[in-house]
Amino acid sequence: MVFNSLTFIVFFACVLGLHSLPLPWTVKKVNLLIASYLFYSAWNPPFVILLWVSTVVDWYAAQGLVKARRASARHAWMLLSVIANLGMLGYFKYGQFLLDNFSALMSSIGVAYHPAHYDIVLPVGISFYTFATMSYTLDVYLRRAAPAKNLLDYALFVTFFPHLVAGPIMRPTELVPQFARPRRASAQQLRFGLALMTLGLFNKVVLADSFLSDAAEQVYDGVRVPGTLDAWAATLAFSGQIFCDFAGYSTTAIGAALCLGFAMPDNFRFPYAAVGFSDFWRRWHITLSSWLRDYLYIPLGGNRHGPHRTYAALMTTMLLGGLWHGANWTFVAWGGLHGIYLSVERLLRGRFAGYRPGPWAFVALGILTYTLVNVTWVFFRAKTFARAWTVLKGMAGQNGITRPILPTFTLLSVAAIVGGILVTHWFMRSRTLESVVARTPPLAVGVVWALMAFAIVIAQGDGSAFIYFQF
Amino acid sequence: MHSSTSSSDALSDQYARATASDRPGVAQPVPQRPVPALPWRRMLLGALVLFVLLLGAWEAYWRAYGVVPGIRNTFGLWAIQRRRIDAGEGDATVLLGSSRSYFDLQLPQWRTLAGRAPIQLSYEGTSPMTAVEDLAADPKFTGRLIIGVAPELFFSGHGFALGVAKYAHKESPAQRVGQWLSMRLIEPYFAFFDADYALRTVLARQSWPQRPGRHWFTDVRKLAMYEADRNAYLWSKVDTDPAYRSLARGIWAEGFADYPGDPTPQEMLKTEKEQIERAAKAVAQLRAHGVKVLFVRLPSAGPYLEYEERFHPRTRAWDGLLAATGTPGLYFSDYPELRGFYLPEWSHMTQAEAQRFTIAFYGILQRDFWGPRPPTTGEKAQPN
Repeated sequence: MVFNSLTFIVFFACVLGLHSLPLPWTVKKVNLLIASYLFYSAWNPPFVILLWVSTVVDWYAAQGLVKARRASARHAWMLLSVIANLGMLGYFKYGQFLLDNFSALMSSIGVAYHPAHYDIVLPVGISFYTFATMSYTLDVYLRRAAPAKNLLDYALFVTFFPHLVAGPIMRPTELVPQFARPRRASAQQLRFGLALMTLGLFNKVVLADSFLSDAAEQVYDGVRVPGTLDAWAATLAFSGQIFCDFAGYSTTAIGAALCLGFAMPDNFRFPYAAVGFSDFWRRWHITLSSWLRDYLYIPLGGNRHGPHRTYAALMTTMLLGGLWHGANWTFVAWGGLHGIYLSVERLLRGRFAGYRPGPWAFVALGILTYTLVNVTWVFFRAKTFARAWTVLKGMAGQNGITRPILPTFTLLSVAAIVGGILVTHWFMRSRTLESVVARTPPLAVGVVWALMAFAIVIAQGDGSAFIYFQF
Repeated sequence: MHSSTSSSDALSDQYARATASDRPGVAQPVPQRPVPALPWRRMLLGALVLFVLLLGAWEAYWRAYGVVPGIRNTFGLWAIQRRRIDAGEGDATVLLGSSRSYFDLQLPQWRTLAGRAPIQLSYEGTSPMTAVEDLAADPKFTGRLIIGVAPELFFSGHGFALGVAKYAHKESPAQRVGQWLSMRLIEPYFAFFDADYALRTVLARQSWPQRPGRHWFTDVRKLAMYEADRNAYLWSKVDTDPAYRSLARGIWAEGFADYPGDPTPQEMLKTEKEQIERAAKAVAQLRAHGVKVLFVRLPSAGPYLEYEERFHPRTRAWDGLLAATGTPGLYFSDYPELRGFYLPEWSHMTQAEAQRFTIAFYGILQRDFWGPRPPTTGEKAQPN
């Protein structure tokens, strides 16, 4: 089920009620586990089996790792986990993509190969929970973490519903210890958790779905050729939509967990105020970027083996990071562009090591970063390269005379919301939400809270899925 | 991918905390989630009171405008009716079409006459062809099918709800529960809970200056009230409020003109032929599992009727459809009993007129097409 649905409100009220009953801690954990399986099976019940497979394989792999005496045995247990998880991911997410590309490759060398179309349904959130479970085995393998003491705690770590389908991607060391002792939210945590959920849902339901998605859809999913204004408005709208959608999900998830007494990590830190791309990736989808860094970039050599290996590791990581988002070459192009940006930035930082930008240059570099990030969003949003080029040409003013696509109201709402997001991110770039809230008069916080809740209700969202569910 | 250095932005407040991006290559600790030091109890209560006041005012505003609570027409509502075919009612009469077969045929009157109401699967603003094909592919459906033909939709294949059949087959348990809850906890009590009064819709339809270079169509406004069994009827405001009726007519009239970029007559003719071929194929499939099909052309009036005749003349489009499908058809103007009904905005009848119309329509159906006896379960229908 999605957070922005009546079903979730009823489900969450039941879970909160159960969790507040004076029951033994183990019973409460079992309740949470069952609730999490219900949460997941509400999409497609048979796919719970995949969750079980992933859970059981990594549980036994970690147990095997701990008991193994020889390095080769440890290696084998680790590989079992990686192959099982990536195999599952590969089959469900990339099976058709690989077949299509193999077929295209055969055609290019004159061999007619037309495999049947499998119509494989992608299990929701598979990319997220396979990464979470893999981090468990990999942390045990890398001796960063001890295995969980019991299967219940481990299964709950994998399945805990707030992070299950779209993150934040939790590490075992972040969540498993929280299951060791009884936890129940304090009254303050419960109220702040509810406020965070309101903020998250406001981002998703009001800003992303109601006001921004339409502009991106009309330009990216239509057939008409956009002019400069429409192309830019749609791309800026998508930059706002994807932030509000995904950061909204993360905030709601963090709030839901806090209502139950659990802490989840930050996943976004006002990314559109980033200056440079390494800064951007410290602020955007933090739990994925740090996962890729820890389990891919560093094992590939990181920056320890000279510049060539560093750039190769960087590009490999970003290309695979792009592919993680979806089985389409446009996502690979998105990742590749970010890899190039990061490489160029690294090169420039080496070349101009002593350079410290003044205030205006700092803002200018921030604007440049945001502009270049928007260019990457074109490939992320467009379903085909042809459409991406059409939009890019529009952004560059190369589409000639075109008929307008977006009405004035849409343009104004995109300008107001995306402008608001940018101002907010720059104001908040070195602050935390909590510090700003703490310094705001309680009356103002209460009024804003009520207005956000009111806007969520009257926006009448249609319960559309979060963008990142498809990844 | 960021390099393995810590964040350059020092967070100086008491709530500052590092993230995973500041801790490369190590086990991540249990996260910190501090709560700002504020009187949260008072703030929550205050926010709740203000929220209730705002929502009450919003509800009162729409009620003063004439809106009353009603069931929402959603894909989930359609799916409930579609599932009846899988749940033992495969021999039922099914209504498919666009808004006219939805608003003009009243299920309570039909039930009184036939002892059993048809399954209403029409969808406003949408060609029925996708749903026809869905039923054609379902061997469990063996009953009778009435397909409403609203020329501009049917012969173009367009519509905003073309995905409804696919949704019904893929509807998740969570979506089903959400539909069930919404129909019981929200929709019967809140007038504002209607797509026509959603925040963005309300703001977007204000009189914003428009960009030059094309015609900007006005979105269709709320026209109907819906019930849980998908019985629908024209909203009384369309009839009783002259300004609203005029607005509704004006919106239709916008579509009657020609605009740059519209399909050419040749393109429209090509599309029309494609839709007729689609229908012929689907009807053949339906017949193969014993379904009796009847096409119906329900009334339109005034400039709307003229517009439909101009772009999809009866002698070409309607007659072509019947000939290609080998299916009987009921055209409203052929029957004195079906003429002269009042259509406030030229396209749909008022509820009272629709009730009268349904009785007359059912009489003709029994007299001229399907005979007096309703089909029984398992009965093989005669070929058309």
